[in-house]
Amino acid sequence: MNTSTDKWWIGVLAIVVAVIGGLGIHFMSNPGGTATPPQEKAAASTTEMQAQTPAPSAPTTSATDTPAPQQQTSISPEQAPETQPVAATLSAATSDYGQARRDPIHFKPAIDQATDADCLKCHQEVLDTNTRDTSPAGLKKVNTLAWYQTLDTYEGEQMTFHQRHLTAPFIKKVANMSCTTCHQGNDPRDEVSGTAVDTQTDLTMRKMVDPNTCLMCHGQFPYQNMGLPGPWHESGAAFQNNCLLCHAAIRTTRHKVNFLNAAGIEQEGVANSDSCYGCHGGRAWYRTSFPYPRHPWAGSGGTVPEWAKNRPTESDLRFLIEGSKP
Amino acid sequence: MANEAVPNNPILQDKATIKEAIKRHKKEVYTPVVPEQQFGFIHNNVDCIGCRACEIACKDKNGLPPGPRFRRVMYVEGGTYPAVYAYKVNMSCNHCAEPACLPTCPTGAIYKRKQDGIVDIDSSLCIGCRRCEAACPFGAPQFIPEQNIVSKCNMCVDEIDAGRKPYCVMACMMRVLDIGPIDKLREGNYATKAMAPHEKDKLVRQVKSMADPELTNPSIVFVAHSQGHVDKPKEPQ
Repeated sequence: MNTSTDKWWIGVLAIVVAVIGGLGIHFMSNPGGTATPPQEKAAASTTEMQAQTPAPSAPTTSATDTPAPQQQTSISPEQAPETQPVAATLSAATSDYGQARRDPIHFKPAIDQATDADCLKCHQEVLDTNTRDTSPAGLKKVNTLAWYQTLDTYEGEQMTFHQRHLTAPFIKKVANMSCTTCHQGNDPRDEVSGTAVDTQTDLTMRKMVDPNTCLMCHGQFPYQNMGLPGPWHESGAAFQNNCLLCHAAIRTTRHKVNFLNAAGIEQEGVANSDSCYGCHGGRAWYRTSFPYPRHPWAGSGGTVPEWAKNRPTESDLRFLIEGSKP
Repeated sequence: MANEAVPNNPILQDKATIKEAIKRHKKEVYTPVVPEQQFGFIHNNVDCIGCRACEIACKDKNGLPPGPRFRRVMYVEGGTYPAVYAYKVNMSCNHCAEPACLPTCPTGAIYKRKQDGIVDIDSSLCIGCRRCEAACPFGAPQFIPEQNIVSKCNMCVDEIDAGRKPYCVMACMMRVLDIGPIDKLREGNYATKAMAPHEKDKLVRQVKSMADPELTNPSIVFVAHSQGHVDKPKEPQ
């Protein structure tokens, strides 16, 4: 007999082993199968992504010595406001970090339609990760205060800046911030934008947020424009530390943008001028002021002052309240 | 805060005194430190080959895990064939004249040195609120999730004190990265291999896609690529 035809069974065995091996790999890589709900799969894939790549922007771990409470400040995806369904296609089943970074939800135009719930499906940890109770050297957070936290509007214990901007009691009174108010996507190619035909042109190098967005509420107090003799901490006493002493009469269209609660701001401003000052110099990060759109008040005359020349007359389109567009 | 009873423990009394002092300083603004001289970086965008040796040297010096990068080399590529281009922008902390990170820190962990203007962070005092990370227009503070703290470039302050240059500069095989007094670097009067004499006119304080330097007055100057120029480079004020 021919020895090569005698060993036909070896070939059959190899095929059977290959088929079984292939099925095994398939089921091991998809343990939930097709019956897994998308959200559970998203959570699973997020955990997997984070385990693979500890990206600075997506922290998942609290310090080992700070078992901080997590429930009080978190927004679950279900609690987050629902609006239009998103055109984005963030695949719930993907476990590929590189692929997730390039999902359409991270780019325009899909990011403009993204709700907080959409973002928090993968990024819930930005709200769940709390500050440390103590610094590595033992400094307790209850004993710490940034200089601008001495404003009357500051209350409660130290929180992360994400929590302060989204879930803190004061921000909820005066603003309707969402993830996309600040975040407008990023370029996976090292956050440099506008260099190729397929990339966004308005991104800031090495930043996830355009600092000009921050400048709206973290700029200097423009006392020169108001004709005040000095910054508010010097000249405020002459005005009884009351912004409305002048601005009750000098009124224009204020705070009519979709990320602010105009009525809430008016209410808080009447109660305490620190509510005004907080965003108009009291929490300044930068050495400049934001050039707000020019809305001359009745009786201001037709002359445009030097500081207001070349200013826009409307806010950025993405901040306009629906129906108020010119 | 003010209504708390004064404790008997002297240490707690000190803390109460500190809190009262903070309250007295209400509405007083942070006054920027004016250093005796300001050190800054110069980077040649054109000659940099993007080897990232500076990044690795930095990570080595600071013992950084994967993820946080105090220094980052950014590849900028674009154009349409045949008019294509590529250059590199290399930034770490820019040790700004008026750093945005500093006043945001609730623990006082961030400080600016009087003698050379270096902005340093004492991470052992950090509670991980990440405000500095949000405030910096140049992405310098880096969150380290394993420790839940923020850390950043301090221009290898120990090397500076020892009379040497930072690890990133020493590791640069192309000599396109250097440090020096920022006023002399801006004027092009500082002897450095990062800039050829004929490149003095190409010095800029801002390149395309970089945040507005007016925000904090960063201590960095670039030899810019022709495609990296912003429309109207601003002079420092």
